[in-house]
Amino acid sequence: MEHSRHVFRIALVLVVAISAFVLLRTLFVPRTYGDYGPYRGGNVVEQAHVREPRHAGSDGCTSCHAKQAADRKTGGHKAVSCEVCHGPSGIHVQAGAVKGKMPVDRSYQLCARCHRKIEGRPEKFPQVVLDQHVPAALETGVCLQCHNPHSPKP
Amino acid sequence: MSDTQYPAPAEAGAPQEPARRDFLEQGVKLASGAVVFFAGARALASSGGGAPGPKDNPFGEEYDWNEHRYAYVIDTKKCIGCGSCVRACRAENDVPDGFFRTWIERYIVGPEGSHVDSPNGGIDGFPPASVAFAAKKSFLVPKMCMHCTETPCVQVCPVGASYRTRDGVVMVDDQSCIGCGYCVQACPYGSRFLSPKTHTAEKCTWCYHRITKGLKPACVEVCPTQTRLFGDMKREDDPVRKIIETERVAILQPHLLTEPNCFYLHLDKEVR
Repeated sequence: MEHSRHVFRIALVLVVAISAFVLLRTLFVPRTYGDYGPYRGGNVVEQAHVREPRHAGSDGCTSCHAKQAADRKTGGHKAVSCEVCHGPSGIHVQAGAVKGKMPVDRSYQLCARCHRKIEGRPEKFPQVVLDQHVPAALETGVCLQCHNPHSPKP
Repeated sequence: MSDTQYPAPAEAGAPQEPARRDFLEQGVKLASGAVVFFAGARALASSGGGAPGPKDNPFGEEYDWNEHRYAYVIDTKKCIGCGSCVRACRAENDVPDGFFRTWIERYIVGPEGSHVDSPNGGIDGFPPASVAFAAKKSFLVPKMCMHCTETPCVQVCPVGASYRTRDGVVMVDDQSCIGCGYCVQACPYGSRFLSPKTHTAEKCTWCYHRITKGLKPACVEVCPTQTRLFGDMKREDDPVRKIIETERVAILQPHLLTEPNCFYLHLDKEVR
């Protein structure tokens, strides 16, 4: 039976190797890996909670800014979300409480982004050649002298 | 015939026979032991590492990813190139400066040539352009991740960091990503980049943190001309599903067989 020592040696080596493999695998493979496919399943829920939504749509604005909301309903900007010009409402209101000021951009560039005449824009979309349309100097507030941004008339 | 005598080879080496048998017996024991050990380790791993929720939905009660399959439609005839989508994406997702999860391209095309530009992704709109050839048509095309069904980007990821969810969104696990950039190269639509902040691959997630709460992606939410539409193919009355099913929609680079889930209306042949 002296040969059984060989078996024990091989067995020992095998046990150590397999244990090391299992240990390293448990250490290095993330816990939820392979739950739903060859990726870390836990990341799906992490991505869904990566941050709170920052854009909330226009419905929430109406409760405090009723006048602007009513104006908007009648004019050419009725399909344009408040957040297009004012930015994400998340910086202004979070969970019903006022958090900070909303930036109000009165520059002509804000209007020009949509209404400057450029190549590529659909023909029927209202657009102007800036220096032909504006009699005064191109400066902040120049568009607002004639147009109400919340309810522009064509 | 059964009493045919064959020389028993064992008799020649009689002293070795017990050792060989021992070896084999112990070998069998060892093998079965290893099988039991592995089975035990597996059982232990699955009992300790499993999520508490049901195995087919990681969200538990709040949301069921088996009940949705999202799709996106872009009507290139409606895009005015204002860049609201690009700005909203940046604000919603903290996209680093100079990189884009979505962007707008402008095509100016004539018989003698064509011109494509996308100044800073179109984030501040477009200036008037002058081209050296006679332009016959020009149009604006918003671009983004196509959220392909047959994803080249996921296939090349060596660490399983890129994946496609059951509701049809291609995402990157930034904890697993090693930043090798294979997926950035593999994407035929140029929709991925390596984030200079995290040094991992970053891309459009269709605002997964919004759509799982029933909201629309930020780009769709702010689009002033309804160029961008987001819908759910598993909802019978979904307007986007209706467009995809009844209108003549096109996809980018169909020859690559990536099966995009982002569809275009009025797409021109010049667009790749």
